[in-house]
Amino acid sequence: MNYSNRHLRFGWWALAVYVCLGIVLETMHGFKIGWYLDVGNEVRRLMFTLGHFHGTMLALVNIAAGLTIRGVEGFRLRPSVSFALIGAAILLPGGFLLGGFFTYDGDPGSGVWLVPVGALLMLYGVVGFALGFPPKTGETMSRRKKR
Amino acid sequence: MFKRLHSGLFFWLAALVVVVAVVIVLMDVSQHSSSAASTPTNRPIAAQEGDYVTSNSCRACHPGNYASWHASFHRTMTQVATPATLIPDASNVELSFAGRQYKLERRGGNIFVSDRSLGEKDYGPPRQVVLLTGSHTLQILWNETGQGRTLEQFPFAYIIAEKMWAPVTQTFLMPPETKEAYSIGSWNGACMDCHVTQGLSKFVEGNKWDTMVAEFGIACEACHSEGREHIDANRNPLRRWKLHLTKSDDATIANAKRMKGPESTLVCGQCHSVWAFNGMDTKLDWNQSGGKFRPGKEDLVQRFVVQPNEKDHSAQKDFIRRTEPDFYRNRFWGDGMIRVTGRETNGVQESPCFKGGNFSCISCHEMHPTTTTRVALDSWARSDQLAPKMDSDQACLQCHKEMAARLTSHTHHDAGSAGSRCYNCHMPHTTFGLLHAMRSHQVSSPNVRESLDYGRPNACNLCHLNETLRWTADKLNTWYQQPVPELSDDDKTISAAVQWLVKGDAGQRALLAWGMSWEPAQKISGRDWLYPYLIYSLLDPYAAVRFDAWKSLQTLPGFSDFKFTYTADAEALGAAVKQSYEKWWSEMRPANPNFDPKTALDPEGRFQQDVFGRLRRERDDKPIVLAE
Repeated sequence: MNYSNRHLRFGWWALAVYVCLGIVLETMHGFKIGWYLDVGNEVRRLMFTLGHFHGTMLALVNIAAGLTIRGVEGFRLRPSVSFALIGAAILLPGGFLLGGFFTYDGDPGSGVWLVPVGALLMLYGVVGFALGFPPKTGETMSRRKKR
Repeated sequence: MFKRLHSGLFFWLAALVVVVAVVIVLMDVSQHSSSAASTPTNRPIAAQEGDYVTSNSCRACHPGNYASWHASFHRTMTQVATPATLIPDASNVELSFAGRQYKLERRGGNIFVSDRSLGEKDYGPPRQVVLLTGSHTLQILWNETGQGRTLEQFPFAYIIAEKMWAPVTQTFLMPPETKEAYSIGSWNGACMDCHVTQGLSKFVEGNKWDTMVAEFGIACEACHSEGREHIDANRNPLRRWKLHLTKSDDATIANAKRMKGPESTLVCGQCHSVWAFNGMDTKLDWNQSGGKFRPGKEDLVQRFVVQPNEKDHSAQKDFIRRTEPDFYRNRFWGDGMIRVTGRETNGVQESPCFKGGNFSCISCHEMHPTTTTRVALDSWARSDQLAPKMDSDQACLQCHKEMAARLTSHTHHDAGSAGSRCYNCHMPHTTFGLLHAMRSHQVSSPNVRESLDYGRPNACNLCHLNETLRWTADKLNTWYQQPVPELSDDDKTISAAVQWLVKGDAGQRALLAWGMSWEPAQKISGRDWLYPYLIYSLLDPYAAVRFDAWKSLQTLPGFSDFKFTYTADAEALGAAVKQSYEKWWSEMRPANPNFDPKTALDPEGRFQQDVFGRLRRERDDKPIVLAE
């Protein structure tokens, strides 16, 4: 499995999706769509904004992950970590967006329960990714000392 | 060495950041403590009361409902006076009334009132305007008195639509000799009962009060009860989702939508009714401990809704009758139907619809519309907070579905005409307050007896202004088999509207002066003959009648820009009447006049002096107060 390609491909496609979503949100602003902008739909607006932000950021995180895997020599990525990063990029923004579609006054819809699951996956993915770097070798240590 | 310098610099930078952060925090702390120390002592204050949490706490979870409440005139019923809440024309104003001159001055962020007797050189010491009542029809100002939190009314009110100041006594229907609407302390002892959320009057001694409220204005908890338990319980997200998904009722908060009709109506009726205390002990308890009624209860606990015809609280109602002989006359028609505005619960409770147990205020009105754009909310607030389509027959058809199929056979009017609108016949404009007539909220059917026995204008003659009671009696007999009562010669030959306007009491005259501006009535009754009667009413002894005559005249061709100071002295009123009558006579009267004799005008348009003079002499001049 080429994890680098997988994260890059996922990241760029996700970015494309969230760029489209951004355009949709801008359009709703432009045409002053009450379903999105009315005070009574404040929670929907918040959920969509959070969904858009988290989706975009996690798309970029996946691109960064792909580049890291490709660029760092000896980087060890466990399959579960890769799965977690992609899963988080789906569940976290997806939870916000689903929660925004059907709201209960001050509460988002039930879709928002995906958010904590996504958040845990993201935490696991980020920590797992940080642990995937190779230990400091003698070569790298001596390079630093020279500086 | 560089490394040492580098780490030293880092240390000092970090120390600087810490010092700046500490200074900022200390500034915040001092700001908070100084604002706490500067709690005003010259006016009632909003303070933590029991389990009341204020509307700010509701906002986070109910933004839409908060927005609709915020757009409503309930919120601004009582406001602390600031440049933002005070009407713009309230600075550097000089006004005179009842031998005294008043000056309103803005100093910094505050407005002050000072006064002097007419002819005196110097104004007395300035008193700060501290609270405001109203922002829809009128704005009334309340001043500090130097006696703790006791308030005194500024004797002028601002009529918002007209952008004019008028003596408060002339913004309600009150006898002309009334010089003071509310005495010192009235706000603390009476007005605040309904103009704030959970007020505590707290009488001290003499005329001194130490008043506090949970929130100024009519806020969320006035209708939903205290929010503490609701907020505490709903911090748990699992509880919230359980309620969302099962669509269960939340027992921790009151909601009129979930109540039966009577309880739901009482949520509004705690204020929108003529009510009285059960006794002196409950009044004292109310003043010291606050209201015990909570939305959802079946009665007002320390108080009761005064319904003259019901058997409840007979001892208290007799006591009122003995101690305040005009109490009923100033509020009710002779048959017990409410005749003042703002007390709609009295009407609703006596309506046949109410007996079914499901009918309530929110059958037609809504407090939280779904659409929360600013424009939509503004429109909703200004259209009596009606629910969608409730300004149409749909209000009645939601229950009386069968009527839709036989509308014209029931109404005997064209389907599209005003005569086929349910509320025009069953909720005519027979209540009065705040200078205008409003629809009766006691759903009833028009009949001639109500006019003969109690003087209440019936729906037919409020539209067919030029017709007699005989005409109405005949129509009601033909269409609905109502018996034709015995009628006087006048009732057979003179328009009922003319009789009410000329010989009625001030309340009847005000209803007719207002009613002559009602477009459906003008359309069906003709406009030409209304001029002389409205011009005549500009001289009415009651300011409220003059005001409505003036506003009605402005709806007639040629008088749309008619200027008239309804509060002016008799001489100025006379001059204005003379001028407007001449204008009508020479410019607006039809070229070939032929006025209907039923209007008590001769064919040329002059008053039939014998008839008019007699009606005028028969005028009911018994003093009457129709306070809102």
